[in-house]
Amino acid sequence: MNQEEAEWISRCQQGDQDALRKIFDRYHKKVYSIAYGVLRQREDALDVVQEVFIKLFRSIKNFEGKSHFYTYLYRVAMNTAIDYTRKVKKFSTSSIDEDGGFQLSDDVEKRPDRILIHKELEERMKLAMGQLPADQRAAIIFREVEELSYQEIAEAMGCSIGTVMSRLHYGRKKMQKLLKDYVKEENKG
Amino acid sequence: MKDSCSSASKLLEKYFDQEVTNEERSLVEAHLLDCPACQDELKLMEGLRDMIRTPVEEAVQKEDFPWVWQKIERGIQLEKRPNWWKSLRSWLDITPLHKRRVWIPAIAAIAILILIVTPLLFKKTSSYPGPFVVEYVESQTNNVMVYESEKSKVTVIWLFEGPEMESPAS
Repeated sequence: MNQEEAEWISRCQQGDQDALRKIFDRYHKKVYSIAYGVLRQREDALDVVQEVFIKLFRSIKNFEGKSHFYTYLYRVAMNTAIDYTRKVKKFSTSSIDEDGGFQLSDDVEKRPDRILIHKELEERMKLAMGQLPADQRAAIIFREVEELSYQEIAEAMGCSIGTVMSRLHYGRKKMQKLLKDYVKEENKG
Repeated sequence: MKDSCSSASKLLEKYFDQEVTNEERSLVEAHLLDCPACQDELKLMEGLRDMIRTPVEEAVQKEDFPWVWQKIERGIQLEKRPNWWKSLRSWLDITPLHKRRVWIPAIAAIAILILIVTPLLFKKTSSYPGPFVVEYVESQTNNVMVYESEKSKVTVIWLFEGPEMESPAS
């Protein structure tokens, strides 16, 4: 944490809204990436960004500076996004069959349009994410989207590096299984 | 996957995540040159990463955030308006009682007291006036009846005029 950021945090802890704006300017894209990574839906992700910074303003007085500020913020963002999925229950499992595979509608299977397939892929990705336990989902988003190191993920999730590696491993395996056709397709193309 | 994979594959995910030491990196890279199975495994991980990351990056680039900040400001302003519950909470926050959690048994004690006292306050008094005495005195001119209640200290006196002379039958 640099001096400038420490000052923003300190001012924000005293209720300075301008300082929160500075923090927002620096981190809003990261927070949006986390939210979008979990929710895969624009409006929901924006709602989460809004909620995260309001929550941050309310709870920043609890930040004692023992960890990096960004891992603290990312944890708030991840928890808020995962809570949001539970709240709105948009991660329906109805289109996932018993083997963990997906049921594609016939017209989607036949259509050659890449854009539509891309949309379908996003839909599948959203469902696959919804199938993962929250801890595995968080570890994958932190690693694949935010490119955090194992150490940083462990800090953000409040667990050991070994646990992070385990969550990443099982999460990836499950995602590969759920998206196996698409992952192979990506590799070919 | 070959037998030699067992040691290298344990490192493959760490290698993919750039968490290996230089020594481990050399080991994995040497193994990858000669192992199509591990090459495929690595490609699967790369493919999955692209599928997760690319749409997120595209979404971030498309987004316009200033209005999000405006919504955050509005949200904070709304939170600043105290309602009665927040006022109560803030009052509890500033009292040392709150920190000690003494107010929970205190409120419970007050509630019990209210439960005990309320029936006494609103207890209906009986309409039965209690013991009383009625005396009746007759005279030629007037008849008197006296009603006296000891409990409510009430005395009622009725004065009746004497019986009128019946008119003679015609």
